[in-house]
Amino acid sequence: MPALLELQRSFSVFLLASKDQEIGRHIQEDGFSAAERLRIYRNTCRSTLVEALRMTYPAVDRLAGSDFFSAAAEQFAEHHPARSAYLNEYGSGFADFLAGLDSANGVPYLADVARFEWTLSVAANAEDAPVLEPSALLSVPPEENGALCFLGHPSVSFLELAYPADQIADAVLSGNDAAMAEVDISSGPVRLVVHRGPAGLEAERLGLPAYRFVSRLCGGEALGLLIESAADDAPALLAEQLAKGRLTGFRIAK
Amino acid sequence: MIPSVHGQAGGSIPAQAGIGLRFQHHRAVLEEKPRVAWFEVHSENYFGGGTPLRYLDTIRHDYPVSLHGVGLSLGSAEGLDERHLARLRRLMERIEPGLVSEHLAWNAVDGTHFADLLPLPLTEETLSVVGRNIEVTQDFLGRQILLENPSSYLRYRHSSIPEWQFMAEIAERTGCGILCDVNNIFVSACNHGFDARHYLRSLPAEHIGEIHLAGHRMRSFDDGRSIRIDDHGSRVCDEVWQLYAFATERFGQVPTLIEWDTDVPALSVLTEEAAKAQAIMDAQLRHARAA
Repeated sequence: MPALLELQRSFSVFLLASKDQEIGRHIQEDGFSAAERLRIYRNTCRSTLVEALRMTYPAVDRLAGSDFFSAAAEQFAEHHPARSAYLNEYGSGFADFLAGLDSANGVPYLADVARFEWTLSVAANAEDAPVLEPSALLSVPPEENGALCFLGHPSVSFLELAYPADQIADAVLSGNDAAMAEVDISSGPVRLVVHRGPAGLEAERLGLPAYRFVSRLCGGEALGLLIESAADDAPALLAEQLAKGRLTGFRIAK
Repeated sequence: MIPSVHGQAGGSIPAQAGIGLRFQHHRAVLEEKPRVAWFEVHSENYFGGGTPLRYLDTIRHDYPVSLHGVGLSLGSAEGLDERHLARLRRLMERIEPGLVSEHLAWNAVDGTHFADLLPLPLTEETLSVVGRNIEVTQDFLGRQILLENPSSYLRYRHSSIPEWQFMAEIAERTGCGILCDVNNIFVSACNHGFDARHYLRSLPAEHIGEIHLAGHRMRSFDDGRSIRIDDHGSRVCDEVWQLYAFATERFGQVPTLIEWDTDVPALSVLTEEAAKAQAIMDAQLRHARAA
């Protein structure tokens, strides 16, 4: 009689690789072979992951086509099992996996659209956190303003993409052929800040100086250093981050 | 002291028919305020922040809510995932559910998680593993949980304890309640050839804290063989309604849930199913009072 841990390891080998039939020895067959019975579980495990990916990557699904998506997702799931029961965390490596495929179904920007959708998903599911109210900063003496270090909201991410994946995803998901036709895929890289604020999910394009300023600001760099190296519009950028709810707290660097 | 099955403080679940709440119906519930006695949600769907949790925060003010887990892996020989437990406790503290439940199953080993309720051999070792994991969970959450019997498609050669006896023994050892899924009993009884009524007769009525009802499908093979698959994708079938009536005779008035997870229909279909369950409960009550 196998110990429970040994049995579970053996079962997991079947679920992951489906080649090892060791677990089959321990299963009653009556009417169905052990492999037939085991495959019911493996199929559910696999299809749940595929559907979880489809929920996270709806624009990739539309662009690549459902059949291509299913095949790619199956292959991904086979090599990347889930690490927790919280499936919103599943699928972080899917963009890189798509980028590594020989054929992304003839869609060169597929991996970038996946990167964009993953960032949206992370922002949508990030933990709740309070939005820093500008009035909280009134308690900071002016001579300490330079030492202010902000804490970005848990939903904030920064993303640099070679293709305009934000515009592509919007167009494909709204089913707007005219908008899709207007996309210029050679328009150069886009830099995005994505977050979930009081007004919902937002992906905003930023120019390079603003992108650098905002990412460093949300990353906790002291305001004094940022203002020295940043453009003249630093005060306006800071005000905008507060207004959009991209900051959740601050500390004074010692 | 672990509270008893019935009469949980704060948002307690009434002994009436409720509905499994899925994302598709969040908005309809808030806008239409349907007449539903209570809702149950899958805990893991609310482990993050943002919109789903905000909806649930609001819904729980209008309806009692139960948290039903599918990924804690109470049957894992290597113990429980502390991060999962911590997330569950945080959600529980925020939602203050009337009931918290999980399955007699495993879904994790060596850091890999499987998105299904995997079957356990029913042995003395498994009794002690599941018993310990339930005790750890109840201590960590500071409350009783309910344990649900799963549907199964295989049995192990070395299983030595009938499932009904296993469920009763676990409840006795740990003080957990039993979530009796009547559809799962029916599916497993058909797949493995045991008597579903004998299963229900063998469960200890005093430990039954909740009943689940759902639809399942028949998967047929080319050679004429078939197996029942619990997919929560259709109406409750007639045989399961009959078994449910039998269960209410045995267990009396118990919170009863309609579950529907694949091809989720309009909310009105779910309220129709819940009304059907409620009618069976009401008939049982009239019958019991007349007797």
